[in-house]
Amino acid sequence: MRSALCVIAAMLCHTGLAAQRPMRPHRAGLWGELGFGAGHVRVACSGCTNVVSADGPTSYFRIGGTVSDHVVIGFEAFSQLNKAFHFSLDASKSTAETATAAVIIMWYPGRTGLFFKGGVGAAGGQYSIPRSATQADTSSGAGMGLTFGAGWDWAISRKFAVTANVATYVVAVGDIVLPGQRVDDVIATMYQASIGFTFR
Amino acid sequence: MTAPLVAALLLFQIDTAPRPRPIMAIGQTIAINTFVNRVDAWAFGQTWARSGTRAWGRNLRLGWEWDEDAFPTNMFAHPYHGGLYFNAGRSNGLGYFESVPIAFFGSWSWENFGETYRPSLNDWFMTSFGGIALGEMFHRIGATIRDNRARGRSRTMRELAALPMDPIGGLNRLVRGQWNARGPNPPEHDPGAYVLRVGAGIRLAKGLVSDSGIARMGAIVVDLLYGDQFAQEYHSPFDVFGVRLMLSSNGGISVLRGSGRLYGKNLNRSTARIRHVLAVNQRYDYYKNPSQSAGGQSVEIGINSRWRFGSKGYGLRTALFFDFVMLGAIDAPGTGLGERTYDFGPGGGSRWELALERNGARFFRILGQAEFLHTVSGASADHIIDVSGIELTLPLAKGFGISGQTYVFNRDSRYSDAPRARRDYHEGRVLLVWTRAGFGP
Repeated sequence: MRSALCVIAAMLCHTGLAAQRPMRPHRAGLWGELGFGAGHVRVACSGCTNVVSADGPTSYFRIGGTVSDHVVIGFEAFSQLNKAFHFSLDASKSTAETATAAVIIMWYPGRTGLFFKGGVGAAGGQYSIPRSATQADTSSGAGMGLTFGAGWDWAISRKFAVTANVATYVVAVGDIVLPGQRVDDVIATMYQASIGFTFR
Repeated sequence: MTAPLVAALLLFQIDTAPRPRPIMAIGQTIAINTFVNRVDAWAFGQTWARSGTRAWGRNLRLGWEWDEDAFPTNMFAHPYHGGLYFNAGRSNGLGYFESVPIAFFGSWSWENFGETYRPSLNDWFMTSFGGIALGEMFHRIGATIRDNRARGRSRTMRELAALPMDPIGGLNRLVRGQWNARGPNPPEHDPGAYVLRVGAGIRLAKGLVSDSGIARMGAIVVDLLYGDQFAQEYHSPFDVFGVRLMLSSNGGISVLRGSGRLYGKNLNRSTARIRHVLAVNQRYDYYKNPSQSAGGQSVEIGINSRWRFGSKGYGLRTALFFDFVMLGAIDAPGTGLGERTYDFGPGGGSRWELALERNGARFFRILGQAEFLHTVSGASADHIIDVSGIELTLPLAKGFGISGQTYVFNRDSRYSDAPRARRDYHEGRVLLVWTRAGFGP
């Protein structure tokens, strides 16, 4: 508890000091970020009169470089794993994993850590329903993905920052064929809130 | 129809300074959507435009789907509409990258709130990315046509001529009194180097309209090269772009292609006789023919090279690019969804070109392009298309010349649940062309 308070106090002090001098985005030169968080996925398809949705953990990795004082460019790999997806009657045993690999641009409009993110790239989805205790029917699809989001870099030191993110990912992976059903033109929309650790 | 939009824009005018005004740009984007929605609902009685809180809630809850609109609607009209959003940003002092979110916001808000239909992912994609590409090209062409130093009837004609390409920019200028005010031109007014070539003639195609026989039709081809990779260093997105428009007597816009430089870097000295320039381009493609339609939004990376011969401006140019198709569309037997007759999907490919030029104007070109598309909406299929062509332009006098162009188009569609389908057609054009060029070092 005491150490947590110390970290918070250090962050607040640092934020206060940082506010007194001109700031540029923390990400300068080569940078990388690894993060985890909570996610919510909503899956729609052509001809579907309703959508299915579920919650699941998310993770991502970003690496990139600097374009200007306000813009950085990078590559982002994101995935969401959902173990309670409602593709079968026994939904609790089904799994769905959706991933994107995208080129992203992050824009820092001001001199604070606030940034907005947008990106486009390739995407994939893998959906699995257990057939027996040891076997599962799996279907996968590939397509494209878009991502948008916003976040804030809290610089802890010159080389390290804690980053808060909210983001949405829209992924189109085509048809998903599972035993007993075919889901056409699947579009998965994921919402993510996460904490990342940024190094440069 | 423009009067209510002018009135709506007037409500958002605060001053006439060209400084960045993002709130104004967002406000005008909302005004565009409201105007289009109300015209559709009140003037045309469209039931899909009678959206309200119930439709908004359902759209937000159910989310994206794929729509069934016609190919020209999705692949040309929507990108053009997206250009209005984008240029709401550009005409309010925002730069290219600053206007990108405006285009996405405009399309997203229309899809969710402007129609009773569920929001369409392909519309969002095409309107946003296509709107950015077309919007920036139209913004720059409009700025080139307009001349803030001109006066009188010539000035008005220039403003009117730019209006179809950049209506939001033109209306903003109108309500700010800039149709008459004299002053310096924006940097986009002067592209530095340029080539404008306009041609009209006959187009012959085998297998284009029917499986057999040769179709004959009239064609108008416009080529514009705005800026030059080798004449100027990179300084902003689309400071160099090329666009081709082909109008055909059997169906309006047959080809509209544009590729603008997002980033460029000299790979050797800018004074060298042999030059190599790395470029990242944003591309918009639209092909619409009775036998084959294809198009999409892409980003490409590659190298442009130039070898200069002698001292009279002759040279050899080559280009080799690899691209990522963010979302493309293509028709083939068995493709589509519901009333839609074509597939959507991402992909990738490459293009190459070899050209002989004088002062930036190509008079002989050999080119090819191959693209792969993986369907994510429509048939369960992968499509491969390749296009190759040769163009030769011979000068006559006073900028006029004769151009002969021949192209071969092939498509190969492979389905997971149907036999493979192939299609090819051959096309030739003979055009009387007029070329005007200005070229730097």
